[in-house]
Parts: sequence; C-alpha cells; structure tokens
Amino acid sequence: MVIVRRKELSLAEKLYLPEVARGLSITFRKMFAKRSTRQYPEVPLPKTAVTRGQPRLVVKDDGNIACVSCGLCEAACPAYAITIDGGETERPIEREPVRFDIDMLRCILCGFCEEACPKDAIFMSDELELADYSRQALVYDMHKLKRPRSAMQARIQYVERINDRWKTSSST
Amino acid sequence: MSALLVAVLKAVVVFGGLLTTGAILSLAERKVSAWMQYRIGPNRVGPFGLLQPLADGVKFIFKEEVVPAGANRILFRLAPALAALPAMMTIAVIPFAGEVVLFGRSYGPLSVADLDIGILYLLAIGSLGVYGVILGGWASNSKYSILGSLRASAQMISYELTLILAVLAVIVLAGSLDLRRISEAQASVGAWHVWRQPLAFVLFVIATFAETNRHPFDFAESEPELVGGFHTEYSGMRFALFFLGEYMAMTVMACLTTTLFLGGPSVPFLPHAHWALGLLAFLAKAACFLFLFLWVRWTLPRFRFDQLMRLGWKVALPLALLNLVATGVAVSW
Repeated sequence: MVIVRRKELSLAEKLYLPEVARGLSITFRKMFAKRSTRQYPEVPLPKTAVTRGQPRLVVKDDGNIACVSCGLCEAACPAYAITIDGGETERPIEREPVRFDIDMLRCILCGFCEEACPKDAIFMSDELELADYSRQALVYDMHKLKRPRSAMQARIQYVERINDRWKTSSST
Repeated sequence: MSALLVAVLKAVVVFGGLLTTGAILSLAERKVSAWMQYRIGPNRVGPFGLLQPLADGVKFIFKEEVVPAGANRILFRLAPALAALPAMMTIAVIPFAGEVVLFGRSYGPLSVADLDIGILYLLAIGSLGVYGVILGGWASNSKYSILGSLRASAQMISYELTLILAVLAVIVLAGSLDLRRISEAQASVGAWHVWRQPLAFVLFVIATFAETNRHPFDFAESEPELVGGFHTEYSGMRFALFFLGEYMAMTVMACLTTTLFLGGPSVPFLPHAHWALGLLAFLAKAACFLFLFLWVRWTLPRFRFDQLMRLGWKVALPLALLNLVATGVAVSW
C-alpha cells in the first residue's frame, strides 16, 4: 500500500485567487510566444535523404528501369502491396516486368523493397502526399512509379553509403 | 422623426450589436485559445479568418436537425430559443452611453429602455436562462443531457444568490435600482465601484462565470463526463442557438459589470467627454471583461462539482452577506 501525502497548501494557495492570477499571467505571456504552427500545404515539411516516402522505380540514364522482375521485393513486402508479372526482353538483362503495381493504400513505407532489391531498381522517394478520388487510382502502375534518377539522387547516395558501411563492418 | 422610430432604431442598433458580438466571440474564443497554445487559430476564411463566424453560420444552417426518438418535440424545439432569449431581452436596459446628439439633435440616452428598476428586470429575466438549459436537457430524452441540465440548474440557482447579494451592495452604495443612476454615480475613476466594493466585485465576477456556465464552472457541458451536457442531442442551428445564447449572456454580463463596477461610459480623467467617446469607453471596458472570460477559460481547469457547491454556499454566499452588512452599516453611519 502506498500512502500519498498531499502537499500542505499555504494560505495563499488555499485562497485560490493568487494562484489563479499566476496561471492567468502564464497564459497571457504565452499569447505572445513563438507560434509552433506549420502552414503545411503552403509550406511543406523539410525533407532529407533519410525521409522515407513512397517507393519509386528509378529510371536509368538510358531510359529503362533496372528491374529484372525477380520478385524479391514482392516477397519482402509485409503488406503485400507489390504485384509483379515478368516477361522477356531483347535487352541483355533478358527479363523485365510487364506489370509492376504497388497498391499505395497498402504500402506502409517500410522500405523493405528498397532493401531487398538486388538491382538497385526501387528506392524510397521523398513523396508523402497521397490523395485521389478512387481506390483504383491509388494502385500505381509502372508508369506512375517511374522517377528519373536525378530526382532520387540524394536517397540513392544515402542508401549506398549505408550499404558501404555494412560491407566494411562485416569484412573486418 | 417620431419618438417611436428613434426607439426602434436604438433597439435595432443594440440588438444587432449584441448578435454581432456573439458571432465575434465565437471567433475570438478560437483565436485566443490558439494563441495561448502556441497556435494561430482559424485563418483560412477571409483575412485572418475574420469571416469564420459567417462560414460557421452557413454550416449550422445547412446541417440536419436531428430530433432524438422519444424526445418531447415541442420543448426540444423551444429550449434553444429560451436559452438565447434572456440575453436578448436583458441587453435592453444596459445604458451604453449618455445623451446621443447627432447633427445638433438630441435622441435621448443610448439604451433601449431606461427602467427605474433596470437591475431588477435584468436579474429577473436573466435567471430565466436556466429554463432553456433544463428544458433542453429534459426534452432530449438522454441521460447525459438530463445530468448536464440538472447540474447547470443547481449551479445557476446557487450562484444567483451570490450574484444578487454582490449587486445589492452596489445598489446600497448608489442608492438606486436604475442602472443609469448607478453608472452615473461613478463619474470619476476614484468613484468606480470596483475600488469601493472590491469584495463585491470579485464575488460578482465569480458568480458571473458560474451564471453563464463558463470555465471553470462549465459543469453543464463538461465534455469528459457528460459528452456535451444539456446540448448533447442538439445539432444544426438549434445547437448554435445554445452557443449564441451563451456568448450573448456573456456579453450582457460584461456590460452589466461595466455598468455596475467599472463606471459605465465614464472616460477616465475626462469628466465631460463626448457621448461617442463614452460609448467607446464602455465598449472597451466590456471587451476587456469579455477577454477575461476567454482568458480564464483557457487557463483554469474545471472544478469538481462538490467543490463548486462548497465554494458557492460556504464561501461566496457568507462573504457576500458579510459584505452587504458591512456596506449597509457603513452607508447608514
């Protein structure tokens, strides 16, 4: 059993009104303090390379994506958001996806697909806003998922740096 | 211009002013709460969110009016009107300014009605506000509503006594029940009743907060326990009427405090000021008092109900009685 002893109140505290005045003075001062509101849609949130937004397929400089439809990201996805159908191609990589869908309503932005990808084809972008009028419109196909490499540069470099660190630590 | 037309014009001006103040207060409440919490508050509708009350009003009007099953339909519809009515009626006797002179013509003092017993009328009609609350709660056929309205009526009746006793001390000092005579008795700053009756002033302010169901005495609608209190079941414009009624009651109380304790339209250190200046001074004083309402709401937590009753019956009422007796003795000496 714990006996909690309440603090004995002094006369001024028992009268209540001085304490009321103290409280009022605090709230009055706070009226002129710095606002902490962010005007969000007009002023977007600051984004860095660590920002893990929606996954995107990186378009290489030759105009293709690196994906070989191996299905590792599909398997790694804990939310079953990714659907891939593979097909053949004349390019040296021989296989490419004919269908690569990510259901953005299922995606939890965990980044497992980015980690799983052996071809550095999928990366987490800094895009976070998601709004549309139908569920179907939020199932992104390959064309909606493509982003030029230049737009993803910061994230790609960040991921490469992290991977390098792991390599060195495991070799020593 | 006939006297009737002047009277109607005054009523329109005062009544319109009251409704506008109610609307402005609904915005001010949100703005002040935002400022005190490091926020900005409504700023999307119009410049600085100034048109927010308009947007709110449109929203309220277009909302569905739900009448709960088993509710007493007539009383359910009557209650919001009853809650808003007393404030609209009592504003009539408030003397806002002295004699109005426009373009060389006198239109009499600026108040809708100069009653000899203005303060009695105001207190009598003002206490009818409890009917709106208790009928609204009872007619809703909901336990939260009835509990809220029971609390509210118990509280309003308890603090009514303190309120009236505090006012009585002022009446004894001024020697009149006429609000205009009371405010004219405080022509200079030194004669303001707030200095001569500080205890009555404090008690009056506390009782005013309880009477208007404002924080820290807002038991009628204490959200965590009673969902919304007496207006839980209300929606749309009827709900808005309860709100507007509360804000208008606050406005009337602010005007009454200004008249009784803060010298009414008297301008400090300017004994013979122009009537318009007097009106401005009155409105400024009332606005400060209204700000106090908001300020206190966003500062103090709610009392417990037993604390409220103890404060009302064991502290405020004896103090008010003592103050009245002391004032009576001092005046008759």
